Amino acid sequence: MKFLRQTLAIAAKDLRSEIRGKEAVNASVSFALVILLLFSFAFDLEPAVIREIAGGLLWLIFAFAGTLILNRSFARELVNDCLDALLASPVSGAQLFFGKCLANYVLIVIVEGISLPFFVIFYDVIPQRLALLFLVMLLGTWGITVIGTMFSAMTVNLRLRELMLPTLIYPMLIPALIGAIELSRVLITGAPLADSLFWFRVLVAFNVIFTILALALVEIVLVG
Amino acid sequence: MRLKIIVTLSVLAGAILAWNLHRIFLQVPDEASQGAIFRIIYFHVPAAITSFTGFYIAMFTAVGYLIRRDLRLDSIAASINEVSLAFATITICTGSIWGRIIWGIWWTWDARLTSYFVCLLIYFGYFMLRRAIDDPTTRARLSAVLSIFACVDIVLVWKSIEWFRTQHPGPVLEIRGGGGMAPGMESPLWWNFLAFLMLATALVLIRTRQEAMRLEIDALRRYANAF
Amino acid sequence: MSPQNFNFMFYGFTVAWLIIIGYVISIALREKKLRQELDRVKRMVEENEQANTRRRP
Repeated sequence: MKFLRQTLAIAAKDLRSEIRGKEAVNASVSFALVILLLFSFAFDLEPAVIREIAGGLLWLIFAFAGTLILNRSFARELVNDCLDALLASPVSGAQLFFGKCLANYVLIVIVEGISLPFFVIFYDVIPQRLALLFLVMLLGTWGITVIGTMFSAMTVNLRLRELMLPTLIYPMLIPALIGAIELSRVLITGAPLADSLFWFRVLVAFNVIFTILALALVEIVLVG
Repeated sequence: MRLKIIVTLSVLAGAILAWNLHRIFLQVPDEASQGAIFRIIYFHVPAAITSFTGFYIAMFTAVGYLIRRDLRLDSIAASINEVSLAFATITICTGSIWGRIIWGIWWTWDARLTSYFVCLLIYFGYFMLRRAIDDPTTRARLSAVLSIFACVDIVLVWKSIEWFRTQHPGPVLEIRGGGGMAPGMESPLWWNFLAFLMLATALVLIRTRQEAMRLEIDALRRYANAF
Repeated sequence: MSPQNFNFMFYGFTVAWLIIIGYVISIALREKKLRQELDRVKRMVEENEQANTRRRP
């Protein structure tokens, strides 16, 4: 219970700070819209073909826009030595990490929630099974958040932080991204879901394995 | 003593490779559909297995560092990863050439090649991370954690790309088809694997000594600057 | 041995050998550079120590 209470306190702190400033969410949503625009020039195709690749486009947008929020996650604590203060506090590394994970998750889901209607309108793609698509979004986003927050903690003290984070996390995220892309494609095009249930298992397995691994190792990364 | 081990391993590896090349070119018959090019499998597959073995041994060495905090274990882990990366590059290049012959294109998003490419990217990131950190202890700590994440992730990457390719079939680089290869054709593969392992061990020993030298240089520099 | 694809098989083996040889050469070059730097730093430390002992008679 104490674990959860302190974790939620950290998450609430991050969310409150972000809601007051709105910097990361604004930048992230703008970035997502810019990518949508660029994709419209890059992929000028018939509606049927667009529907086939819509799953891929959607998750590329989510992954790129999410990185902006993940980058700031630990970097915002460097000012005024806040990170040292947090590490010296009774909050354990795992609680700090999990709290930030929860905050990042909420923020990225907000960005996705704002981008999805634009995507639907711009590309004339009406998802057939919206509830399942939201479930896929929630599952996939947790994978991105866990890996992204972990590597944000790892790269927080490096000079080339903004360069290194995307380079490190995108190859790691490939199983989750493939799963999310495949499920989204099936849900958007209306293909039978039965063949693709494997990908739900991949997403869940990815999330569970890396959440446990991250919680186990984050103390070593943050403290030593 | 160490130098003797390195030289012995290298010479043995060279001897096995030379003897094997003789077998591969003169004794093993051509494969029915692919002709002479299939012989490249005798470099492609052993290099692949060597690099994968290396990555996982490096992960266990990295875990050893996290438990015992001995910087020598970190040097060993980094050296093994670097040598494995070289062998992974060989795997991808020979696979690409093989694909050029079989399918006429320089790159096929075949499951194995794609997974290897992801592997390559992850470990490029590993070495980028190592270069970005100056302090040896922090570098060892963070690259150990990254190594653990990478090795767990590679399993998932492999399986998910394989499954993706069964749903979206594309060109496949495969020699076996249904069962295994004919018995006479398979043994040079394992001999080459042994030779590659010995070569890799020799290279790792050399690299580990270089890493130890680098640590010594850093320590001496700090000592010199202290006065 | 059939002449089919013989050229490309030759290229394949050549590429593999070139990568191995290239890597070994890069290791050898690094070794030389590290030895030079180690000698230089050792000399620097010795000079520092001699300067210190001269200053404290």
